[in-house]
Amino acid sequence: MVKIKNAATAFKALNGVICVYKPPCVGIPKVQHRIVTSLCRDLNNLPDRPLEQRLEIVGATNESMQVKIVPNYADDPLVCGPRYIHDDFKCSWATHLGLFSSGVLLLGLNEGTKLTYHINVGRPTRAFKVHGQLGKATDTYFWNGKTVERTTYKHITREKIDRVVAHMQAAHQRTMYQLSGLHMESETTYELASKGLIRPANSKLPVIYGLKCVHFKPPNFTLEVQSINEYDKYLWTLVHDLGVQLKASAYCTGVQCIRQGKFTLDHALLRKHWKLEHILDNMDQCRQVLEENEALLNQRSTHLN
Amino acid sequence: MNSLKVLLRCQRNNVYIKRAATTKKKMHDPNEEEQLPIFQYPVSKSSDRRLYVWGLAETGALGIHSPLGKHRGSKSYKNDFKFAWHPMRSSFCERFDVIQIACGYGFTVAAIKTKEQHKVFGTGINTDSQIGYHAPRMGHPLEMLLSPAPIYIPYKSLETKITGLAAGRAHTLVLTDNEGVFTLGNNAYGQCGRKINKTEEYRGSMHSHNIKKLAAEKIIDVCAGQDHSLFITESGKVYSCGWGADGQTGLGNFDNQGPPGLVKGDITSEKIVKVASTVDCVLALSDKGELFGWGNSEYGQIPVTSKQQQVNMSYALINFTKGIGKIVDIAAGGSFCLICNEQGDVFVWGFGLLGLGPTVHHTANLKQIPPALFGRNEFNPESMVEKVSCGIGHLAAITNNGDLYTWGRNRHGCLGLGNNKDQHFPLKVGIGAYVLNAKCSVDHTVAICKPFV
Repeated sequence: MVKIKNAATAFKALNGVICVYKPPCVGIPKVQHRIVTSLCRDLNNLPDRPLEQRLEIVGATNESMQVKIVPNYADDPLVCGPRYIHDDFKCSWATHLGLFSSGVLLLGLNEGTKLTYHINVGRPTRAFKVHGQLGKATDTYFWNGKTVERTTYKHITREKIDRVVAHMQAAHQRTMYQLSGLHMESETTYELASKGLIRPANSKLPVIYGLKCVHFKPPNFTLEVQSINEYDKYLWTLVHDLGVQLKASAYCTGVQCIRQGKFTLDHALLRKHWKLEHILDNMDQCRQVLEENEALLNQRSTHLN
Repeated sequence: MNSLKVLLRCQRNNVYIKRAATTKKKMHDPNEEEQLPIFQYPVSKSSDRRLYVWGLAETGALGIHSPLGKHRGSKSYKNDFKFAWHPMRSSFCERFDVIQIACGYGFTVAAIKTKEQHKVFGTGINTDSQIGYHAPRMGHPLEMLLSPAPIYIPYKSLETKITGLAAGRAHTLVLTDNEGVFTLGNNAYGQCGRKINKTEEYRGSMHSHNIKKLAAEKIIDVCAGQDHSLFITESGKVYSCGWGADGQTGLGNFDNQGPPGLVKGDITSEKIVKVASTVDCVLALSDKGELFGWGNSEYGQIPVTSKQQQVNMSYALINFTKGIGKIVDIAAGGSFCLICNEQGDVFVWGFGLLGLGPTVHHTANLKQIPPALFGRNEFNPESMVEKVSCGIGHLAAITNNGDLYTWGRNRHGCLGLGNNKDQHFPLKVGIGAYVLNAKCSVDHTVAICKPFV
């Protein structure tokens, strides 16, 4: 852990990307607000720089005057307010997570906002754990919706769910070619396709590369999804579709992002650690990850990596 | 006046809806959920099968009249339904338990599990009575059937089960468990396994020939090429009959063969478990997973050292396939061959759209199709191809996840990819079921599937 001498040096170090764990039911603006608030609080608690001096010339004007240096009370935090406030920080996210999703979230602080922009444009793959429950369908496909249907689910076994999930994945792989914007009859398409997975043509097309059932204990199950350009509602519909294909109904009970590019849950800061020293520490870690993987910031290949 | 009232009522409703939409969203009552009924959707049995068909429908080979739902009028079927671009579920399989299926040139035959007389059904072109005699009017036999009709075959016992089916250009082979093989259709080259009669009329023929045993051995598998037939007996011997101009009978000559004769050459000492042939090139697979071949080799399908274009005896292709391990499945197309090995890799050679990209049209050596095209990637490393199948110009492969991939010439939409463009690399066909087996023909394809749930 870095030794922090004073607030000014600490503030100068706060330029970069941090990786935090976003709790569910808390929006990203709330998370940003909370982090910036705690940063301000911690910075203001640090030993402050010496108070500014003020030159005062006192005495009668018709005799020799006295030059005095006195503390400038206009610079006192008690007068002008805390040294570090919200407006001192810029904070931006790299890829969006919905209100009800939780998990790995990349935030850029001050100069780091440029990095998050590049990460966003580079479209890293994200891995999700999508939790679902069988036997009930809701109008929003999520737990917050109104129940529209109830069904039995006794006939569903691990084997059946695995088959359907494998089928869904293969179907997504075919759409991957269509969404890549490549001409199906060209040699380039063939060469790209034979090497592996291809990125979608733009940032609006959700593509799923991997889909696996990692936990099944009726009525609950968990899917592991590897994808690009997805959004929380898209993942909810995935669970609903799975329910329909299994001749039952299902709704999503939770979405957790477990990986984003090369950032995993191990990097993510928990809410209790949203403090200056942990954030500085985390920023160092993230810098290392970004240095090791240049592709995260500068994505030039059409392949997935 | 009445109509005015109705109009007014509608308007009032609209106003009401608008007002409701502006009010704050209410929290729903949790007790409401308890009052909902619990549905139970029907679930399939493990023996249930689904039949998906696609390609040219004009010949009636699909057994489907018109696309469901779109133009359902007073007419029971539309005559202008020509192509099925996407896999369509056949209702025939819902009525009967289909166990075997075979695709000929413009016709399809299916065997069902039953203890009644009609065990085999056929649909499509019937110019040579390859799907039996069907005459709604006496003396006017139908040359084309648009929906499946039962084929009369004189079984000795109704307990007999159908264990295999094969269909060629204009003949059908029906393999039973203890009554041997029944052959129907054209016998101009002897492909029905009986003496060739030059003056025989095949249109409207009611003839079916029974081959009980070959050299006192039970027949366990049949295969039909274009105009020849192949039989495998219990000890793994291969017999053949029919057209031999390209050596596809493998009998050491180029003559047409009436009664089946034993295939000569390297396979006589081997136990053959599978033979594959669609046109005039034949591949055979032994129980050790070794490959043999004979027949037409114009495009190097049977790479023998003497560079013959017609190979009239079976040759071992062990040196050719060296280093790829045990072969699991084989398929021979019109001008190319396709095999897959134990590791689930797919290899191809010959001429045509082989799945090696738009620039590769011919390869004399074994070439692997990149496994990434069959869905093997970092997220799914265990995907492997288990079965392969070939039509004349198109190819198909089935993975262990039950996904069907097709590529090649897309004649009349036989690839089932939703268009009529040729496909240069394997692409998954959109079938919502676990594909067990796929049969390809000239211009249509049939897949037997198992429902997921």
